[in-house]
Amino acid sequence: MMTEQGRVLTQLLSGQFICQITDEASWRFLKNNANRNAIEPHLALLNRALSTTAEGDVFFASYDSINDSERKHLGAQFQEISSNLRPLVDWLLLVQQAQGNDIPIGMGSPIRLTELQSTIEDTPAFTEQLEKLSRYRLFGSASTQTDGQLKQVFKRLHDLGYLAKPNPEKPIYIATGKIDYLYEVLRFIDETESLSLTEQAEAATSQGSLL
Amino acid sequence: MNQNLYQSGVSLLNALSRHSDVIMRAYLVGSVDEKAAGPKVLESLQQLGVLWRPEPDAELRLKSVVRNLLEGSLQDERNRQIDTNMGSALAAIKTLSQHYKEALHHNRFVESQGHLGDLRQHVYALTESLANNVRLLFSRINNEFGYVASVDAKIRENELAQSQVSELLNQIELIRFDELGELAGNNRELRHLLVVMLQQSFTKVTKELSAVQARLIELIGRFREFRGRTRLLKGFVLHTDQNPQFSPRDYTAGSSIPSLFTCAPGLLEPASVDVNRVEHEPLLQDLVAHIRKVNRVAVNDKHDRAASSIDISQVAAIEIDDSQLRKAVEAYFCYVIDTGERITALQYLQWQQLDFDAEVWLYQVIGGYQSLDPVDQQFFAIEATGEAHPQFSGNYLIHDIELGLQ
Repeated sequence: MMTEQGRVLTQLLSGQFICQITDEASWRFLKNNANRNAIEPHLALLNRALSTTAEGDVFFASYDSINDSERKHLGAQFQEISSNLRPLVDWLLLVQQAQGNDIPIGMGSPIRLTELQSTIEDTPAFTEQLEKLSRYRLFGSASTQTDGQLKQVFKRLHDLGYLAKPNPEKPIYIATGKIDYLYEVLRFIDETESLSLTEQAEAATSQGSLL
Repeated sequence: MNQNLYQSGVSLLNALSRHSDVIMRAYLVGSVDEKAAGPKVLESLQQLGVLWRPEPDAELRLKSVVRNLLEGSLQDERNRQIDTNMGSALAAIKTLSQHYKEALHHNRFVESQGHLGDLRQHVYALTESLANNVRLLFSRINNEFGYVASVDAKIRENELAQSQVSELLNQIELIRFDELGELAGNNRELRHLLVVMLQQSFTKVTKELSAVQARLIELIGRFREFRGRTRLLKGFVLHTDQNPQFSPRDYTAGSSIPSLFTCAPGLLEPASVDVNRVEHEPLLQDLVAHIRKVNRVAVNDKHDRAASSIDISQVAAIEIDDSQLRKAVEAYFCYVIDTGERITALQYLQWQQLDFDAEVWLYQVIGGYQSLDPVDQQFFAIEATGEAHPQFSGNYLIHDIELGLQ
């Protein structure tokens, strides 16, 4: 029999992001300070450390010390993250606009696929956006139908761990903590490259309102 | 009882119920559609003070008292007005209680009862409006300002609500219980109204208002985060649209890598089966029992079925081989005819040092004899030496064949 600790350790070592949505039990386990301390030495043995995103709601295993082979892997991983940013951002904005409540998708946001699909199908601008974003290599859809494109995009996001599907029978997805990780990456890039993205957006919207 | 007032009140309420359709539509739309309702009806409603025309060429609207009545009774969340003017209400209460005390002092009991009734009305109205305001604030918080769509509008609404809360709290501070206590003196009725009643609602409202304030601050924090995230996303899209070449620096190349990008890959692989573990045996057996044998022919095997040309030259090569044996047999037969000796096939094989398998040689000799014409067969005497099979009757094992002339 595997203990709770073993289960959580397995999840971390298989590269999963643990948040309240993906696995509430493991998440609660890791929220406990004593449990975290108990798990650290096991991870350290394999050159891993327990990391959280800044708000402490998403846990993942990171490298403890970084040498050449680790650096190589991290470089490749970073390339992947940065090339996936634009498709993911486009998708987030599309869903946010289509849901019509102006609230950005974050950890725990439910997305009802059928409702989303009917909104997108009824609005040509959204259909076009979806068409464009489903062509990205990340999603790689070859379908010409909105239905097929949307399903492929959501399937990929589910596979990549950005969305959870609590009931396999129902087309309802819930955004996981990995989405929050994505925001954090964006914020980090914004700060380190001093892009002042929020100011750009603000300026653009105020100009739009003047016109 | 003032019969006149009673009569006109009843007729007002009747008018309201008769024209409820017009009034409700005006409440929902904001103004009366004068074409839909008859001019007489509108005239009478204006006289009763239900509708009014703010400007000569403006549309007819509901009077605010009627609106307030509807909003209050329907608990309609569209009502976002909060009456924070408590100073005048308090002044009225103080004045009325002085009237009451004076009337009591002069033993004018009937008059004093009238003042007391008015005073009660005012105190109850004040407490009711306080409770109502708090309820309004809560209903707005509970649906997270759902009546406006954009997050920016929600932030503005939240700011409005916050200013209303602080205004309410300031106004509540105007109630000075020491002054009210002094005013009530030792009069039981007054003390109950001014001190007990007001104090109860005061404590309740301040407690609720502080909860409201905390929730509002929490909500505005969330809204601001939403706005920040949306702007971040939109800003990124704008930036990459303007600079299509943009790609972030490789942060993993530097000496210290930000913890955000040190995510380690998965390293666990499924374990392998240990067939030597006894306790796993039943499980493994079960697994083996469920392995399905697939009898389908693999796609690669199909070329066996395809038509192929037959190489005739190979067949000819075999024939050459065969003919050597046959020639040897012919030579053996000729030898017997030439010499007339009786010689066994194996003896001939050894003598001639032929390179054939003994069994094959014997078969060929028998076959050679059988293939002769019956006339030719008569010239030869063939005799097989051998024995019957020890176990199976009817079988005869041939060890050698002796051939001679008849």
